[in-house]
Amino acid sequence: MAMNRRNFLKVSAGASGSLMVSVTLPGCAGIQTGYEPDTGEWRPDAWLELTADDEVFFTLARVEMGQGTYTGLTTLIAEELEIQPERITPRFAPVAPEYRNPLYKLQLTGGSTSVATSWEPLRTAGAEARQMLVMAAARVWNVEATECRASEGRVVHPNGIDSMAYGQLVELAAKEVLRGDIALKPQSEWKYIGKQRGKLDARAKSTGTAVYGIDVDLPDMVYGVVSRPPRRGGRVRDINADQVRAMTGVLDVFEIERGVAVVADKYWRARKAQDALKIDWDFSDAVSLSTGDVFDSYRAAADDDPGESERSEGSFASAMEEGDRVVEAEYAQPYLAHATLEPMNATAWYREDGMEVWAPTQAPDLGRIAAARVTNLGPDDITINTTFLGGGFGRRLTQDYIEEAAAVAYRVGRPVKVIWSREEDTRHDLYRPAMLHRMKASLSGAELTGWHHQIVGPQILDWYVRNAAPAQYPWAPKFMYDTLGSVGLMAEGIATPKDHSAIEGAIEYPYRVPNIDIRHTHTDPGIPITWWRSVGFSHNGFAVETFMDELAHEAGEDPYQFRRRLIAHEPRHLEVLDRVVKLADWQSPVPEGRAWGLALFRSFGTYVAQVVEAGIENGAIRVYKVTCSVDCGQVVNPRIVEDQIEGGILFGLTAALYGEITLENGEVQQSNFHDYPLMRQYERPEVLVDIVASSESPTGVGEPGVPPVIPALGNALFALNGKRQRSLPLKANA
Amino acid sequence: MAVSLTVNGDERSLNIEGDTPLLWVLRDELGLKGTKFGCGAGLCGACTVHLNGQPVRSCSTPVEMAAGGDVVTIEGLGEGSRLHALQDAWIEHGVPQCGYCQSGQIMSAAHLLASNPAPSREEIVAAMTGNLCRCGTYSRIIAAVESVVADTSDGAQGGAA
Repeated sequence: MAMNRRNFLKVSAGASGSLMVSVTLPGCAGIQTGYEPDTGEWRPDAWLELTADDEVFFTLARVEMGQGTYTGLTTLIAEELEIQPERITPRFAPVAPEYRNPLYKLQLTGGSTSVATSWEPLRTAGAEARQMLVMAAARVWNVEATECRASEGRVVHPNGIDSMAYGQLVELAAKEVLRGDIALKPQSEWKYIGKQRGKLDARAKSTGTAVYGIDVDLPDMVYGVVSRPPRRGGRVRDINADQVRAMTGVLDVFEIERGVAVVADKYWRARKAQDALKIDWDFSDAVSLSTGDVFDSYRAAADDDPGESERSEGSFASAMEEGDRVVEAEYAQPYLAHATLEPMNATAWYREDGMEVWAPTQAPDLGRIAAARVTNLGPDDITINTTFLGGGFGRRLTQDYIEEAAAVAYRVGRPVKVIWSREEDTRHDLYRPAMLHRMKASLSGAELTGWHHQIVGPQILDWYVRNAAPAQYPWAPKFMYDTLGSVGLMAEGIATPKDHSAIEGAIEYPYRVPNIDIRHTHTDPGIPITWWRSVGFSHNGFAVETFMDELAHEAGEDPYQFRRRLIAHEPRHLEVLDRVVKLADWQSPVPEGRAWGLALFRSFGTYVAQVVEAGIENGAIRVYKVTCSVDCGQVVNPRIVEDQIEGGILFGLTAALYGEITLENGEVQQSNFHDYPLMRQYERPEVLVDIVASSESPTGVGEPGVPPVIPALGNALFALNGKRQRSLPLKANA
Repeated sequence: MAVSLTVNGDERSLNIEGDTPLLWVLRDELGLKGTKFGCGAGLCGACTVHLNGQPVRSCSTPVEMAAGGDVVTIEGLGEGSRLHALQDAWIEHGVPQCGYCQSGQIMSAAHLLASNPAPSREEIVAAMTGNLCRCGTYSRIIAAVESVVADTSDGAQGGAA
C-alpha cells in the first residue's frame, strides 16, 4: 500500500489541532534544523519551530499525563523566547536522540525529572532563538542588537515604537550565527515562570477534544482484544477459533505470544467474540503463588540472607550491645495496581514501509523496541506517535501494550486498535512490588543510637531492562536484545544505572543517628512489577516514618520534637517540618474523636512534611485534613505544584486505605473499581499545600506528595487508638 | 437492529446490535470521542452522558434502551460556539490534570445544576461522588462548580438590585 506520509499523518491531528509531524529519521540521525524556504518554517533547534505566519510550535519531549509538562515546559521556553506561553502550540515529540531524558539516556517521562532536566536546556533554547531574532531585526534596522529588546513575540526597535513580529524575522534569523553563551534572565525579570497562570491543555480537556490514545481514529481501522493467561506463564493448548471466526464482524482469531487475539470490525463485536472464546490453557509452567507464599518467601529470604549492605555508618552491632533497649518491627506492603483511568491501549498499522504506532506512552523509544521484538522490523522502521495520556503513574513506562498491538497489527495488515478492559488492566498490570521491611533500633534512654533497616523484595530494573537496554542502543541487531538486557544487569552502574528502586528512601535516611546499617535482601517471586508513582519511596517511606513514630513513643517524646532534634542538621527538612507543624497547629488540642499523625520525607529532591487529621466513623477510617509543607526549589507554575502535591496525597491515601492486589494460586483476585477502589469525592480530606519560597534549582513534584501521607495516616490512627499497624492497607478495626 | 436517537440535537439513525453500549455507538459510530471508557461497569463515571435529561453511564446503557431518546454529550453541552458555564469554570480553575475523567465530571455537574441551580457543598459532593478521578482533582472540581453557583446567584441578586 502506497501511503503519502504527510496525508497519512493528517489523520492523526493532535489535540492542539495541529499536525503531529513525525520527522522521518534515517538511522539515528537527529532532528534537522534550519530554515525551510518552501514552508517558511525555521527550526533553530530540536524544540522550536517558528513560521513566517508567526506561529510558534514547541516539541514537547516529556509526555503529558496530568503532571503538567504541557504547560510547565512550554512556560520555560516561552520565558526566554519572550512570548506568552498561550501563543505557543506544543506538540508531542517523535522518537529522536535529542529528546532523551539525560538522566536515563532514554526518551522517557518519569522519576519526577521533567522540569529539573529541562530547566537549563529549554531556557537556553528559548534564549538562543530569541537572540537570533533580535540580531536579525537589528540588522534590518541597522542598529545595535544590544539596544533592541524582545517582548511578547516581537522585537522592539531602540526607539521603543517600531517593532517586528517574530514571523517576519524567521528567514533572516536563521542566517544569524551566535557567538558565546547567551545569559539567562535572572529570577527578578521572569514574566511567566513562578506566576499563577492557566493550564494550556485545560480547554481541550474540558471540551472533550483532547486526543488520548484510545481516541485515535484511522481509516479502515479495526479493533482487537486479547485474552491473556489468567496465571502468568500459562500457554495456549487449544482454542475454538473456527467457531469464533464465524461470529458477526469477526475478522480473525489467532494466538500471539501474550495470549489470544480477537479482531473485529467493531469493539463490541470483538468483546462479544472474546466472551465466546474457549481457551484451553496449559498451566504446567505457570505461576501458582498466593500472596501468603510471597511474604513467606520474603521472610525465608530475610532469615537466610542479611542482604547486601547499602549504607553502613558506625557499628550497629555495638550500638545494640551498648544501648539499654532494642526495638524491632516488621512492616509489609502489598502489590499495588496503577489503575490509570484510561485503560491500556495502543493502535498500530503495519505497512510495507514499516509500522506506525499511536499510543499513550511514557517511553516511546522503548515502545519501538517492544514493537520490533514481535515483528521483522527494526526500531527505525517503527514510528511512535504519542498522544495525551489518561494517567501514567509509571504504568506506561512498560510497553507490553504496544508490543501486543504491534503483534496483532503485524498479522492484520490494517490499522488496529487494541483496547484493554478494566478487568484486564487490573489483572494484567505490572505491580508496585509487595515488600517486607525488618527494622531494628537501639536506644539509650531517649537517645536513638542505632538504626537498622533490612529491605526485602525485588528490584524493578530486573524487569525493565529487557526493553530499556536495547532502547539505549537502537542500532544493535535484534538478536542482541536479550543479551543487552542481561549485560545491562550485570554491568549495573556502568551500562545501566544502579537500581535504587528497592532501596530509595531507605538509604537516604536523614536523621542524625551514629550507627546505621541499611541492607537489601534481593528476592523476586516472579510476579511482574514496574514503576509506580514514587516507586521505592512509596514503601520505604511507610517503613521509615512509621518506625520513627514508634521510636518517638518508645523514647517518650512528642513525634515532632523527636524528629526535630534528630534533623536539626538538615535545614530544608527542618523548615518544612516546622512550617507544617505551625500550620496544622500541632500543639493545640485535637478535635474530639480525632487524632493527628506526622511524617517528614524527602523524595525526588523535594522535601515534604505532612500532618494528617483522621478518625474512625461508622467503622471506616476517615481522613479529615492533610496539611502539607513542600520545598521543591523554584516553582514554574504554583497551581501545578499544588495540584501535583494534592493529587499525590490522594493517590497515597487511596493506597493506604484500599490498595491491595492479592494472588490466589497465581490468579489476581481484583478486577475493577468495586474490588480495587479509588478514593471518591465524598471521602476527600481538606488538603492545604504550603510551598516554601526558594531560589534552589527546581526538583520534582509529581511523586513526592505520595510517600509521607501513608505513614502520617498510620501514625494518626496509632495516636487515636494505640494500635500500631505495620501492614497495608490500614484497617479501621485493626 | 435499526436505532434512531437524537444526539446533541441531531437526529441519528444507525443499524447496529441493540446490546451495543451507547458509549461505543457515540465514540465509534458517531465519532464523538469526548465520552470516555473507564471501567465498563458503571463504577467510574467517565462515560457519563445525559439521556432524556438524566445522567447515565453510557458504558452500561445498551443503545436499544436509548432508542428514540435525546442524548447530550460533552460535545453538545455548550450552545453553539459558547461553552457551558461549567466548562469555562473548569478552564478558569485549571481543573484537569490528565483530564481523562473530566468529560464525565462535567456532565455530572451539569445535570446537578440543571436540576438544582443552587446546591449546597454537601449536595455537590453527593452528586459528584460517582465520578472517579485518579489524579485527585476533586477539590478543584468543587471549587469550579461552586464558582458557577456563586455567579448564578450573584447574577440573580444583581438583577434584583
